[in-house]
Amino acid sequence: MSTSRGTAAAIALLSAALAAAGCGFGPGSGVGEVSLTVTRDYGAERVQPPVSGEASESDTVMRVLDREAKISTRYSGGFVQTIDGLEADERFGHSFDWFFYVNGVESPVGAADFALHGGEAIWWDYRNWSAAERVPAVVGSWPQPLLGGYEGKSHPVRLECRAAGAACGAVRGRLGAAGITLSAGRSDDAIRVLVGPWAQLRDDPAAAQLEQGPQVSGVFADFTQDAGGYRLQGLGEDGDPAHDFGPDAGLVAATRRFDAPPVWLVSGATAGGVLAAAGLLDAAHLRDHYAVATEGGRETPLPLR
Amino acid sequence: MRSPFAYTPRPGPLQAASPGAAVAYLGALVAVAFLYSNPLVLAAVGVGAALAGYTAGAGSAVRIALRMGLTLALLIVVVNVLVVDRGETVLLRLGEAPLLGRVDITAEAMVEGAILGLRAAVAMIAFAVYSACVDPDRVLRALRPIAGRSALTAALISRLVPVAVADATRLRDAGRLRGPAAAPIGRTALLRRLMAGSLDRAVDVAATLELRGYGLGGPRVERGGRRSRYDTRFYAVGVAVLIAAIAGMVLGADSFHAYPTIEVGVGSGTVALSALIVLSGLAPRRRDAR
Repeated sequence: MSTSRGTAAAIALLSAALAAAGCGFGPGSGVGEVSLTVTRDYGAERVQPPVSGEASESDTVMRVLDREAKISTRYSGGFVQTIDGLEADERFGHSFDWFFYVNGVESPVGAADFALHGGEAIWWDYRNWSAAERVPAVVGSWPQPLLGGYEGKSHPVRLECRAAGAACGAVRGRLGAAGITLSAGRSDDAIRVLVGPWAQLRDDPAAAQLEQGPQVSGVFADFTQDAGGYRLQGLGEDGDPAHDFGPDAGLVAATRRFDAPPVWLVSGATAGGVLAAAGLLDAAHLRDHYAVATEGGRETPLPLR
Repeated sequence: MRSPFAYTPRPGPLQAASPGAAVAYLGALVAVAFLYSNPLVLAAVGVGAALAGYTAGAGSAVRIALRMGLTLALLIVVVNVLVVDRGETVLLRLGEAPLLGRVDITAEAMVEGAILGLRAAVAMIAFAVYSACVDPDRVLRALRPIAGRSALTAALISRLVPVAVADATRLRDAGRLRGPAAAPIGRTALLRRLMAGSLDRAVDVAATLELRGYGLGGPRVERGGRRSRYDTRFYAVGVAVLIAAIAGMVLGADSFHAYPTIEVGVGSGTVALSALIVLSGLAPRRRDAR
């Protein structure tokens, strides 16, 4: 009798320990809502309507995608080959593949290994990656990662205004309206939002990557210098200059230097351009875009098509 | 005691066939097992190989290979479900584990592990039939004109290992015959004696090889070797299985995906190919068999 009572106690203790360690049958309980967006050509076209749903404890980016879309994989389920029939391949000498972002940040691990914690914005995009194999951060999941962090961790957000004038206040207001709390400290872990004319921002090592092209920065824009100062230049998907914007054009872009937190750029050639860029900081203007330029009240997603 | 995998001369077509024909026949089955991932086709290869073994009189070799193969398959399934957490259908969550990270047991990883295990088991059955039914001496004779040194090395190994096993058995028997009161013979002592004996045997083998003129070079075997009236049958069945398998692949008979969710295609092509492979297992059957 005492032996069976001891066995029952041992089983109960083992079950409790396993439950505490996150063990259990099935996919587990819900951890929160996640959203899924599937687009092609740098967000130019939606492959399916965006969806949101409850994620479970065992959910990964791949499992959520598989639930919501018809997919096929390769390399033992590690990489996505097709989504809704759109297949990764080479066309006209260009490589097209499926890339994904969680909270606007390129993942360091595959979709099947990216565990979800709830609240994430997942974005799959089918794109030509001939000009930029890596686009480390994008603005199209606004207000993420500024609101919820990335890779399962929350990060402080630091606003750095450099001769930004009225744009600094405008950006602060937009961030506040989105529920983003700004940090006053100088943490290395902070996601920085740099606001100011390009001449003031280009000293920053992360921002300076823009001048090295999209293969380094992942941003399909550049600031070229002429006698009158800097001018914003939009690049095409091939990484070549496609359009010279006017002097009052603004840019909202995100980049990342090595493994440091992403850096958002709200910039322009002039103070007017920076202010115009600040006006883009909302979901209506940024949603599904890698970066956005604005000129004369008209927004232009980047890269240019 | 003789190993069930050891070649035993029997009056059967597979045993009588030339090594090339037997290898073409059994090799075709193994090739299909490695070409295909469809569980129906893999199971058919297993049944075909087992049928070939039974009809060739190597039933005990098939049974033991099946037991070993299924044990290996089970091990592969267990390892696969622990190290691969891909797949949509999560059956069990085991939390975080050292080295493995998050461990989710998924139905897809289980099925993929079963496919890998089935492939290994099928290959083991085919090799067991080969080992029990194809005369190794004839294989080595057939190889000698192509790769003389390799054939000689293989011949020496294939002879020395059974001789060493027989020596060990004899030494153990001799030890037991000393009576129950005698001190047991340790493994180290047995190994030392075997090593010393193997050196003596090596000298004997070297002398024999020298006497047979192995150091002189030049042709030592007859070309071509003995052909069998069954050769055509085994070559034809092997080629037919291979052609059907390749045609099946082109026509999509290998439809199987473990990830992200399990998809098994069982079309008419898959069923026809599987039936052909099972029937090919009857090739070693004697025409006059009742």
